[in-house]
Amino acid sequence: MERDRWRGRETGGETIVILHVVNKAPDTGKTLEQVLTAMSGDDSLLLIEDGVLGSLPALADRCAGLPGRCYVLREDLESRGLLARQDERFAVVDIEGFVSLTEQADKTVSWY
Amino acid sequence: MRYAILLMGAPYSTQASHSALRFARAVVARGHRLECVFFYHDGVHNAARLAAPPQDEPHLVDGWIALHTEHGVSLQVCIAAALRRGLMDQREASRHGKAGYSVEAPFELVGLGQLVDLGLDCDRLVTFGP
Amino acid sequence: MESTEAIEGNQREGDILLVLRHAPHGSSWLREGLDIALVGAAFDRKVSLLFMGEGVLALLSGQTSGALGQKGTHPTLQMLEMYDVDALYAESAAMSRFAVAEADLLLTPERVGETAIADLLKHHDLVLTF
Repeated sequence: MERDRWRGRETGGETIVILHVVNKAPDTGKTLEQVLTAMSGDDSLLLIEDGVLGSLPALADRCAGLPGRCYVLREDLESRGLLARQDERFAVVDIEGFVSLTEQADKTVSWY
Repeated sequence: MRYAILLMGAPYSTQASHSALRFARAVVARGHRLECVFFYHDGVHNAARLAAPPQDEPHLVDGWIALHTEHGVSLQVCIAAALRRGLMDQREASRHGKAGYSVEAPFELVGLGQLVDLGLDCDRLVTFGP
Repeated sequence: MESTEAIEGNQREGDILLVLRHAPHGSSWLREGLDIALVGAAFDRKVSLLFMGEGVLALLSGQTSGALGQKGTHPTLQMLEMYDVDALYAESAAMSRFAVAEADLLLTPERVGETAIADLLKHHDLVLTF
């Protein structure tokens, strides 16, 4: 089945089971806490839109302390004047990297 | 791979529509087949044919139409979510006795079952919320 | 009782998991999420519901329509059984936070903690958050 051909493709030796996409800043509501509740160690987290604020060093511990990998979308950092201000534990990906992450993960779950 | 996008944010209110359109183009550029963009919740406003943003802003409705024209992506709008919010095509407008209509092709009004099928049949479904 | 042990057999598996995170009346998120549950079930898909955060308030008994006849979601919840949607889960921490006890509920969801919630997400093909 087509679906299975892509299942379990690897990135740097790791398989992503779920890619969690978050578009809310840590200070806005409970979104980030809900993701952290639902996330496990073989999942990855991608911050987009206002979510990118979560990659700033003073706020990054909550995400970067996770066993899973953390990514942040370049163009949403850039448009907010925040590129290069993100914590070094976050990997910066462009829009093509976003698509690539969704390819690698079995499924994508968005939290807003 | 076969992709679908679920969009639930209204255009120009949140970044969701921009993000979804940007992601849609990137999916196609990477050689994937984008089957459909499904508009639900406030996302149905993306189908408003009367949208008239200022010229120095991206025209999102035209952006969706271009995606359909250039890459055959179907643009499906949840009919129940749309009717409640005053979005209807000519057929629904006459059924409801309305003088005008607010949705036209290539946007299609469909049932929610389409979303269920897309979500389970496509390899990937990516949601953009408000 | 909080259940955090690994899943047994086919329990907690399904086609669609709807994560419902909004309380009734304040927005249409809960209603539009539940609509997908009913449609999915009508299309013979195995649907599970996870009530998370403020979403656990959807389960509270004693709800009524709102002012001006605003429709509540409690009648929909009571229809779930008829549609064979019986895989219901509620976030344990949220039930404690909102002081909602099992005896206060319209339905009988299984209380789940973090590990079980992560398992639920893993074991459904399509996960949609509302």
